[in-house]
Amino acid sequence: MGIDLKIAWRNIWRNRRRSILTILAIAFACLLLVFMLSFQLGSYADMIRFSLRIHTGHLQIKADGYQKDKDIRKVVSDPGAVAEILQAQPGVADYTFRANAFSLLSSHDRTYGVMVSGIDPQREARVTTIKHVIRQGAYLSGGDNNEAIIGNLLAENLKVGAGDEMVLLGQARDGSVAASMLTVTGIFSSGQTDMDRSVALITLDTFDRLYFMRGAVHEVVAVCPALGDVKPAQAAVQKALDGLKTRRHLRVWNWQELIPGLLQGIKIDFFSGIIFYMIMVIVVAFSILNTFLMAVFERTREFGVLLALGVTHGRLTRLLLLESSFLCAVGMVAGITGGALITLYFQQNGIHISGASEILKSYGLPEVLRPRLSWVTIISGPAVVFAVTFLTALYPALRARKLKPAAAMHAA
Amino acid sequence: MKRMILITLCMMLVPGLTIAAEPSAESVIGDALDQMRGLTSESVNTMTIHRPDWERTMTIKGYTSGRENSIFWVLSPPKDEGNGTLKQQNEMWTYNPKVNRVIKLPPSMMAQSWMGSDFSNDDLAKSDTIVNDYNHQLTSTKTVNGKKVYVIESPAKQQAPVIWGKLRFEIREDNVLLKEEFFDEDGELVKTMDTLEIKTMGGRILPATWKIYKTDVDDEYTLLVVDEIKFNIDLPANLFTRSALKNPPR
Repeated sequence: MGIDLKIAWRNIWRNRRRSILTILAIAFACLLLVFMLSFQLGSYADMIRFSLRIHTGHLQIKADGYQKDKDIRKVVSDPGAVAEILQAQPGVADYTFRANAFSLLSSHDRTYGVMVSGIDPQREARVTTIKHVIRQGAYLSGGDNNEAIIGNLLAENLKVGAGDEMVLLGQARDGSVAASMLTVTGIFSSGQTDMDRSVALITLDTFDRLYFMRGAVHEVVAVCPALGDVKPAQAAVQKALDGLKTRRHLRVWNWQELIPGLLQGIKIDFFSGIIFYMIMVIVVAFSILNTFLMAVFERTREFGVLLALGVTHGRLTRLLLLESSFLCAVGMVAGITGGALITLYFQQNGIHISGASEILKSYGLPEVLRPRLSWVTIISGPAVVFAVTFLTALYPALRARKLKPAAAMHAA
Repeated sequence: MKRMILITLCMMLVPGLTIAAEPSAESVIGDALDQMRGLTSESVNTMTIHRPDWERTMTIKGYTSGRENSIFWVLSPPKDEGNGTLKQQNEMWTYNPKVNRVIKLPPSMMAQSWMGSDFSNDDLAKSDTIVNDYNHQLTSTKTVNGKKVYVIESPAKQQAPVIWGKLRFEIREDNVLLKEEFFDEDGELVKTMDTLEIKTMGGRILPATWKIYKTDVDDEYTLLVVDEIKFNIDLPANLFTRSALKNPPR
């Protein structure tokens, strides 16, 4: 075996240029796979964290039926009891209350239908990032004060700025007309187009009075310490809620149920990535197949001599497979090292994609992307490359088994 | 030979007779609408919104002129008194006395419910343009209580700015609208309006109680009762304007 290894290693370097090219092809494929996978998975993690912290949170507690049909009467009537349950949950980091109503907002001569949400300014700031995305004016100060903050696209549509007044017109919980003048105190830009175009936030106290809520809310939004805590926390909270005696049954929704589009978008992107990787691996496989086939054709006489000297067909095949394994191993080590180094560099420094920030925003992505290196991203790509390369190398190696010593020695 | 002539005559006459007996679908619908509105009308209506755990009753004063213009104000409950809605052609405005503003309803709000009822804003705004926005076809006739009832199916015209895919009417031969059904683009029944009571009011025979309900929910409906109605009265020329909306007549 020792001599075989030596022969295989030497054989590789007999045709230096071809071997280096093959190694480079394998290395490049591995490098790209390591980096791309780290980048993709890293940006997914960012995308989920970032977009959930804007508004949705990890868990939401709503009355049965409210998720499907946002009827103002489907309320969580005793938010205090829900708060006690959440307080006792180690899997819940913080929570806040919201009440929502689809209403009209009108400036001088422009009117838009928007989702008006009543929020608790202090709690909301702990749960979501809304306070930090105020671009003009100030965040809500709290209390019953007819203040509102609106998205920048809505502000553009209504042609209002901080300090301007608007009219709110909607329907209260008791069916009466909810109407009031509101003062725009601030304008936010969350990066999520839907929210920036069609959401107005007022204080929960103002909402309670205008919409005659009598202390009820529509959503209790909770965040967990980490994404992994969401599922267990959901189960625990649901169990506790089932024990509550309320007129409307309360249900906990996790973020995947609340915005299924987010996970679906990620899946679609991931699968299109997979297709790209498969094409790349196939291209590499063909270049390797070419190298190995050429080697066998060129070296037919050499193999004939070896066979004539008493080398068995099995040993010859093993020799060829060893050669291809060497090529592959060297390429993989180089590729993984290079890929990991590049990934680590960008993990530290981030990737600024100028010009694409609009697109990123619409996907709820931060403007700086960071790949994230993990064992999964290091191993999985190169493992596929290795498997495919080895399978490719099998064909020429098995061909060598059919050689007859005399005929092979006479081959051109 | 005489017999032959007689038969031929009969055959020529019979189809002619049936055509003469069946008016066009457009005119059946137009007549039914005109029957309810007259040239002008003034009415007091009670609207009851019923939900499984909740009910609310409002009194509404309304004026109409022709097929295009209408204006309504809420009389009670006192909390909502003075809230008004003005409709001119396909446009709608709403007025709230608390903020003293007239607001034009944007197109995006037209599918929303009017005053929390099962009527959409669109139902009110489009209620009388249905004659033009849909193709009407008389599909069958039936006899109910000795009176002939026309069944008319009306798919929306290709370019018409309407939210329904198809409407289906049942109209009695004396121009009383008995039933209106609203279908979406896929032909699914979404909403039904039934006439529960027919009365002679203001000298006309009219649907006096309407029940409107969605297909997919139980125990939710809106009841609209016409309490008083007068037809063809003189209305001030400036009644159907935005400034009038701010000043409901006492």
